[in-house]
Amino acid sequence: MKHVIIGNGIAGISAAEMIRQMDADASMTLIGDESFPPYCRPMISMVLEGSVGYDRLPVRGADFYDRMRIQPILGNRVTALDVDNRTVSVQGEHNISYDKLLIATGADPRPIKANNLHLKNIFFMRTAEHVRAMLEAVPSARRALVLGGGLVGFKAAYGLLHRGIPVTMLIRSGYPLALQVDPRAGQMIQDELVARGLDVRVEVHVIGFDGNSRVRRAFLSDGTELDCDMVVIGKGVTPALSFVPKNIIQVDLGILVNRHLETSVPGIYAAGDVAELIDLARNTRWVNAIWPEAVAQGRVAGMNMVGRKVAYKGSLSRNVIRIFGLDVMTAGIVNAPHDGPYEVIARDDPLRKNYRKLVFLEDRLVGMTLVNHIQQGGMLIAMMQSGRPVNISREKILSASFNYRQLIR
Amino acid sequence: MNDLFANRTMTRDGQLLLEKAQRDRIETVWDRFENQLPQCGYCEMGLSCRICVMGPCRIDPFGEGPQKGVCGADADIIVARNLGRMIAAGAASHSDHGRDLVDVLQEVAEGKATGYQIRDVEKLKRVAAEYGIVADGKDPAEIAGELAYAMQEDYGTRRKSLTLLQRAPAKRRAIWDKLNITPRGIDRETSEMMHRTHMGVDNNWQTLLLHGLRNALSDGWGGSMIATEVSDILFGTPQPAATMVNVGVLKADHVNIIVHGHNPVVSEMVLHACQSEDLLQLARENGAAGINLAGVCCTGNELLMRNGIPMAGNHLTTELVLTTGAVDMMIVDYQCIMPSLGSVAACYHTKMISTSDKARFPGMQHREFHPENAAEKAREVVKEAIENFADRGEVYIPVEPVKAIGGFSVETIVDALGGTPQPLIDALKAGTIRGAVGIVGCNNPRIRQDFGHVTLTQKLIENDILVVDTGCAAVATSKAGLKLAEAAQMAGPGLREICGALGIPPVLHMGSCVDNVRILVLASALANALGTDICDLPIAGAAPEWYSEKAVAIGAYFVASGVYTVLGPMPPITGSMNVVKLLTEGLKDEVGATFHVEPDPEKAALAMRRHIEGKRAKLGLPSLKV
Amino acid sequence: MRKVIVHPQRCVGCMQCMHACATAHSKSKELFAAALESPLPKARIHVGVGLFNEGFPNRCRHCEPAPCQLACLPGAISRDVETDTVLIDPDLCINCASCAMACPFGVIRYHQHCYAPPGKVVAVKCDNCFERQMQGLIPACVEVCKAHALTFEDPSRALKRRTDEVARSVSPGVLQTDLAAGFSVLNAHKRQQIEIALRRSQS
Repeated sequence: MKHVIIGNGIAGISAAEMIRQMDADASMTLIGDESFPPYCRPMISMVLEGSVGYDRLPVRGADFYDRMRIQPILGNRVTALDVDNRTVSVQGEHNISYDKLLIATGADPRPIKANNLHLKNIFFMRTAEHVRAMLEAVPSARRALVLGGGLVGFKAAYGLLHRGIPVTMLIRSGYPLALQVDPRAGQMIQDELVARGLDVRVEVHVIGFDGNSRVRRAFLSDGTELDCDMVVIGKGVTPALSFVPKNIIQVDLGILVNRHLETSVPGIYAAGDVAELIDLARNTRWVNAIWPEAVAQGRVAGMNMVGRKVAYKGSLSRNVIRIFGLDVMTAGIVNAPHDGPYEVIARDDPLRKNYRKLVFLEDRLVGMTLVNHIQQGGMLIAMMQSGRPVNISREKILSASFNYRQLIR
Repeated sequence: MNDLFANRTMTRDGQLLLEKAQRDRIETVWDRFENQLPQCGYCEMGLSCRICVMGPCRIDPFGEGPQKGVCGADADIIVARNLGRMIAAGAASHSDHGRDLVDVLQEVAEGKATGYQIRDVEKLKRVAAEYGIVADGKDPAEIAGELAYAMQEDYGTRRKSLTLLQRAPAKRRAIWDKLNITPRGIDRETSEMMHRTHMGVDNNWQTLLLHGLRNALSDGWGGSMIATEVSDILFGTPQPAATMVNVGVLKADHVNIIVHGHNPVVSEMVLHACQSEDLLQLARENGAAGINLAGVCCTGNELLMRNGIPMAGNHLTTELVLTTGAVDMMIVDYQCIMPSLGSVAACYHTKMISTSDKARFPGMQHREFHPENAAEKAREVVKEAIENFADRGEVYIPVEPVKAIGGFSVETIVDALGGTPQPLIDALKAGTIRGAVGIVGCNNPRIRQDFGHVTLTQKLIENDILVVDTGCAAVATSKAGLKLAEAAQMAGPGLREICGALGIPPVLHMGSCVDNVRILVLASALANALGTDICDLPIAGAAPEWYSEKAVAIGAYFVASGVYTVLGPMPPITGSMNVVKLLTEGLKDEVGATFHVEPDPEKAALAMRRHIEGKRAKLGLPSLKV
Repeated sequence: MRKVIVHPQRCVGCMQCMHACATAHSKSKELFAAALESPLPKARIHVGVGLFNEGFPNRCRHCEPAPCQLACLPGAISRDVETDTVLIDPDLCINCASCAMACPFGVIRYHQHCYAPPGKVVAVKCDNCFERQMQGLIPACVEVCKAHALTFEDPSRALKRRTDEVARSVSPGVLQTDLAAGFSVLNAHKRQQIEIALRRSQS
């Protein structure tokens, strides 16, 4: 059986390992556009911050491909997929044929529209290479501008503040991490960052830049100008599926897959940031571009590719962030619409520095926001993933002392 | 309302102040309770022993691990020893409180305790007569001196039995003699308990428990009884009077002083100071409309009973009352004063004053009160409180106070009945009133504050059972509006009729927790009038929210005196089913009464009704099937 | 292979396992000295509270596959096959709390400890006392648990014991002696206390 995996991120790697674990004889080819050995993307912000060196980024040894007996094709992107002939085309390579194909191409940073984006020191922050370039700009930077209050923008700001660079953050919505946390936690995060020197401007965006080869100034939608010598664009990501024939393989925002992570074309699978599948909390298709989902989906896709019909229950959005004095963990639905079918309970206990908000749909937990006391968060996430009815007092779960014993009878 | 707070307390003021406390980041007793969970099962079962340093030891309740301490004590011995020491501590607390009052009586007799006087000379003479003191031709001071001396002898080792035991029915005293549990000296029994529970002394769990009863009796018919009687002599025997209760008794425009603790020796002097014209004038000069003295816990009950002073709350309200920001000073004496109060007060302008040489607290200023200087000290601290009024921050008094009637001493109950207990006996005989129950004891964060007291009381009065209560239980039912003549509407038809005729509430406030002895005296009077023993009466006792060692001593002297007693929280005895069986069943054959443990107040009410109707049947009175 | 087995119905909530665990993971391995160390040693077994305030010793189950291991960003979590133990390498750990998000039992904590680089906060959890086991000792939490809520034995043996207990309890003619009658009484009392509160909040 000939397996081809597109993407050497964690979804692709996890799938490859699972295939090898279950089929010692399978032939595997792995195509990746980054030539770096498999590394941990969420950790690049820690390289920016300075808490982790480049040497710590790889998640697998340099001998990974050899050990797994994988034929790697690195440094190039897939340009086309021929479903009828079961081949993929790679830049500068001959066509590669497959029996089973996994698309685990991940996502690319979403571009923005603004004048003079070509200027130097305007960065995305997605790859190790991006951070390497940013770090070259850091020594001479006096003020940085971060576009977007999402996870990437937030991590960039956090890293740069750690490096002692004053940061201005522009957010279109009312508070940072609006997609990840509820307004209360968002406010707590913003307060914490502002206390450490972050300048936050809400409901404003950038319309252009000015500078002499290097960026020097930004023009904002409210008519003001802002001096800056470094810009990070963190406006989210979009699945990397330009090569996918959308008339053959069903695509929405990401590539649609079923519970076996198989696309609308038998034998072709998708996993990770590029895949769109049922979201357990939202009960609708969703792209959850997060590391633990990529790991889990990659493993399940791998199993299915070698013929084990393993079903994946669905994905769940979740995040954990540590910001100076705050630990924030969220999962599922964090901002339940007021007019929806959800029941929301919350407790703010300043004495224990504990904030908890839980979202229920009928008897199931479908969302949580925890500020501090996050140790038990995994348990709540497991409750959401299992979909088990919550049959204990909901108030109990709001308490910082909630623990596993209360779930077993 | 936040469910969390509604689960912690049934009181509206408590719930609102819990919200305030959370806003102000005040750690309360409930937070600390939660932090302690789970509590140690060995200790909850009485199976841990720290008595000696061959240990500490614990016994495995599942029978596989160690079954004996290093010394060889098994579960029965360890549980009995631990319970014995709890009783000793409780008896010591009440009795030492009584001793302080006897000391004041002594100094009044010697003319040293300026500021104090003998307010109830009649009672002095009555009690002196019980001690065999001839009053004829003597002035009150002289009688007081002799009485104080005689009472001090009750504390010592020179008597064969305590003097006030003679108030008990003869049949009861015979039982005590037969069991060899007649208390001989107040301090002696406590001292002997400490001796018996030392390693290698009494290792028979039955005799240890019997001595526990003797130790408790030395409190109920000794230390506590002396405390109540001397308090009445010095400060007046309580008379029914209207008052106000809950945190709403604080006044935004007044200097608010709260007294907390148990002994009226300090609080009575503070009351005098608060009423003196020059200090009132000073308060006005400082921008206040006056001085508002209120109590919490039992020192509050002492003032409420004798002077109608308003009551801000019971045990679990003591921290919350400070979060109003309206308390200019809290003055404490001793017992049940949480060591956390100083740190709560530190978040507000409240000055905290400790007054007893035996009771000191973090975050409080110590102003030691003695009988000779108490009047002057009280003026000093009240002056400080007045000066502190100007430093107040934001004030939050979230509720209006509730009216209540207090002050039912045995004497006034008999007065209300027309000078003799006969009308009460007639009502009992006829079945208009089925029986009477004494509800006593504390608050405990294990139980929603006041829920046990109030629910039990409501269920009892609905069924025509007269309730008398003391201590924090009495404050709970006052807050719930059950201590008003109108509350008779909530009573059954028989009790409603009697209350209406006498103009009394269906729930009578009999005082502080040492005043439980008033219930013993009343029960004895009824038994004597019927020519029977206390254990034959259609009465019962309950401590639905008890927490303290004092409550263990009270429960034990109730049972040893023949009163069936229902506890809410479980005492630390389940490590020995032998001890459990003796206390809940075996004692019936010995003292004619047992303990019963029932956390559900509705079921407790049912158990008590069943007990009362059973006793009625045995007395040949009309009885109901419950 | 012998493993630490938790018998939740026997936990009395005394927390002695926590002290023993903290001591076993201290520099000095002595309770009194450990309490003076900096950083203060901390327990890796956590006595939590159940629905009626009963105790429960919560510790790492060393799952297979371990969700924490799959979620670990820097690859700091690994399995020692010989002892069937999931271990966290404090040098590699980046304190990102991804494992907290993955652990369905809530047993991972974050703090400094004496095996980690000084001043570094890392993820910490039960290591099955591998140091003690190498010295021929059993895990510290088991050693101090006098109620036998924690045992160190072959899981199949524990299972057999449990099934035998059940079999005995339903066998006719076998005298029933409930050794833990008192503990049952206490727990029934506590359960009732909680149920009264719940009944009220539902009404």
